[in-house]
Amino acid sequence: MSLSIEQLRAQARDAFARHGVPTRRLEHWKYTDVKRALAPLADNLLELPSDPMPVDALGDELSIAGLDAWRIVIADGVVLSLPDDPPQGVHVASLAGQLHAQPEQGVAALHFDEQAPLFNGLVALNAALAGDGIVIRLEDGVRLDKPLYLLHLSRGKAVHIRHRIQLGRHAEATVIEHYAGMDAGLSNVISRLHLAEGARLHHVRVQQEAVGRTHIGRVEAELERHSQFVSHSVALGASLSRVDIVAELRGPGADCRLDGLYLTNGRQHADHHTVIAHRAPHCRSREMYRGVLDGRSRAVFNGRVVVHEGAVKTDSAQSNANLLLSGRAEVDTKPELEIYNDDVKCAHGATIGQLDENQLFYLKSRGLAHEEARQLLTFAFADEVLTGIAVPALRRHIEHAAFSKLPHGEDIEGMLAGHDGTGEMA
Amino acid sequence: MLKIENLHVRVDGKAILKGINLHVRAGEVHAIMGPNGSGKSTLSNVIAGRDGYEVSEGSIRFKGKDLLGMAPEERAWEGVFLAFQYPVEIPGVNNTYLLKAGVNARRRHLGLPELDAMDFMQRVKEKAKLVELDPSFLSRGVNEGFSGGEKKRNEIFQMAVLEPELALLDETDSGLDIDALRVVAGGVNRLRSPERAIVMVTHYQRLLDYIQPDIVHVLVDGRILKSGDKALALELEARGYDWVREEAGA
Ligand SMILES: Nc1ncnc2c1ncn2[C@@H]1O[C@H](COP(=O)(O)OP(=O)(O)O)[C@@H](O)[C@H]1O
Ligand SMILES: [Mg+2]
Repeated sequence: MSLSIEQLRAQARDAFARHGVPTRRLEHWKYTDVKRALAPLADNLLELPSDPMPVDALGDELSIAGLDAWRIVIADGVVLSLPDDPPQGVHVASLAGQLHAQPEQGVAALHFDEQAPLFNGLVALNAALAGDGIVIRLEDGVRLDKPLYLLHLSRGKAVHIRHRIQLGRHAEATVIEHYAGMDAGLSNVISRLHLAEGARLHHVRVQQEAVGRTHIGRVEAELERHSQFVSHSVALGASLSRVDIVAELRGPGADCRLDGLYLTNGRQHADHHTVIAHRAPHCRSREMYRGVLDGRSRAVFNGRVVVHEGAVKTDSAQSNANLLLSGRAEVDTKPELEIYNDDVKCAHGATIGQLDENQLFYLKSRGLAHEEARQLLTFAFADEVLTGIAVPALRRHIEHAAFSKLPHGEDIEGMLAGHDGTGEMA
Repeated sequence: MLKIENLHVRVDGKAILKGINLHVRAGEVHAIMGPNGSGKSTLSNVIAGRDGYEVSEGSIRFKGKDLLGMAPEERAWEGVFLAFQYPVEIPGVNNTYLLKAGVNARRRHLGLPELDAMDFMQRVKEKAKLVELDPSFLSRGVNEGFSGGEKKRNEIFQMAVLEPELALLDETDSGLDIDALRVVAGGVNRLRSPERAIVMVTHYQRLLDYIQPDIVHVLVDGRILKSGDKALALELEARGYDWVREEAGA
């Protein structure tokens, strides 16, 4: 009954032919004109990526500095190398290798479901074309000793990547997906995550693609009982980015935290759509997304929380706050709560605003100059989202990238020097 | 040190301060007492430079300089400090970092070399001990999750670190239990010096049991109706404010 890879690819092509690239007529693409962004690629969308790019020293140059991790470089959608000797109980393979050696596993990784939340034509396109990615499985009780760091360097016009991460019972891992595309084009990446009972996964996306590039990401997480999923999605680069995160809380006691940060300027456009589906009792979800928008940039946040009938004692809280540094920046934010039982605790809120005058005055009354006070508050606002990132080199990297995007950010970074983020002075 | 002449202030077109005259010399401790809504916080905020107040008449001079022409941060650099009645929470802005930036900005303004991290931390630890501030508060966001009393204590701690020349304490006593009041008062008393002036704003005389003022002013309906020595505070405590109004024919 299981599909062959050829059958799956054919079905995916067929689904893409039917759905096409999303247009603004679709409810969830109302504010994000990906069709226009991809217009230059329209005729090549079904073409497979050409030869992989030469990477050479680029991998080291663009890597997160000082990060002690299992690093895997993925160049133009091709996995260049795998860890030589991963720890006992950790199985890492490339999707390309798996499609060859264990096609049924490859088919499972490429699985797509037209009924899934936020499904769209680009998901089908990914299933039709993704030739590579990382497939990692942790056996029960295995704790990955250091983060798995997936560095994506893309120059190809259209790059489709599929990752699959499976954590066995009580397994633990941190996975960092870092996107550093260098030219115009499309990155279309789907990560399918599965957390067995009691597993803990921290999944971090750092999107720093070049301006001119379109970044489409999708994260599908399935949480079994008492598993814990923490997701950070940081959108800094690309001209247009759209990240969909779908968390299915399937087992009682599952715990999910979705945090995100988008910093946009110029004419950048950053869109996050998240869905948290509470399907079991006693689950908890927390969500905090923040954005800082400058120039004529635009951001979209849509956070849907669905509490299904049997999911009693659900505890869910969601917030989205946006800071507009420019009068021409725009944000569309929409929390959506769907609750099908009475025994739940749900809170959500969205704000769009400027810096708080009382806070500004307080800082100035202590001697901070006006600009300094503004920068500090802006940075602090963004940095709140990063407090859950326990890998210091990763947090520093994101903070540095954030500083370089904020107006006069370098000044504040200098002022904060010797300050390690935990509040201790060096 | 501080010379306020005929100060008239409006908020949203409504007259709040109606001709305040106040002279504070270095070394003095003044108490401004008045019922709720009499304009005490308005006066403190105008001295510190908060936006939203329209000064329609009068002047404020500090060490001979026109204070009203200065931005709030310049006033801080000149040595003005306001301990807020309602200190705001600033999550993500580290308490110690803020003070370091504040101290060094002022030192630059005064042409002094910046304090290095070691000297600064030493000063911070010393002053935290002075107001019995739990060291864990140093590394937290400014007032983030602090109780009302902890916020007040933090204000006095900041004052001790910043070593202002003019300290304005706006209702620093409210929300403090008696032990905390004693500690906070101790911190203020230790700051008393011939080079410094302190203006305490309060509507209870309680604080004045611990910090002895040189001069007490009664502020009612935007005017200072009476000034006197410490005995005036006791009289206010016993008799309320109405007799001052009547006496002034207001
Ligand atoms: N921002 C403001 N907007 C409108 N009215 C204000 C504002 N601040 C103060 N007031 C009014 O000014 C008067 C004095 O207030 P305030 O200075 O806070 O008094 P106090 O500190 O003595 O209690 C009150 O009537 C108050 O309602
Ligand atoms: Mg007041």
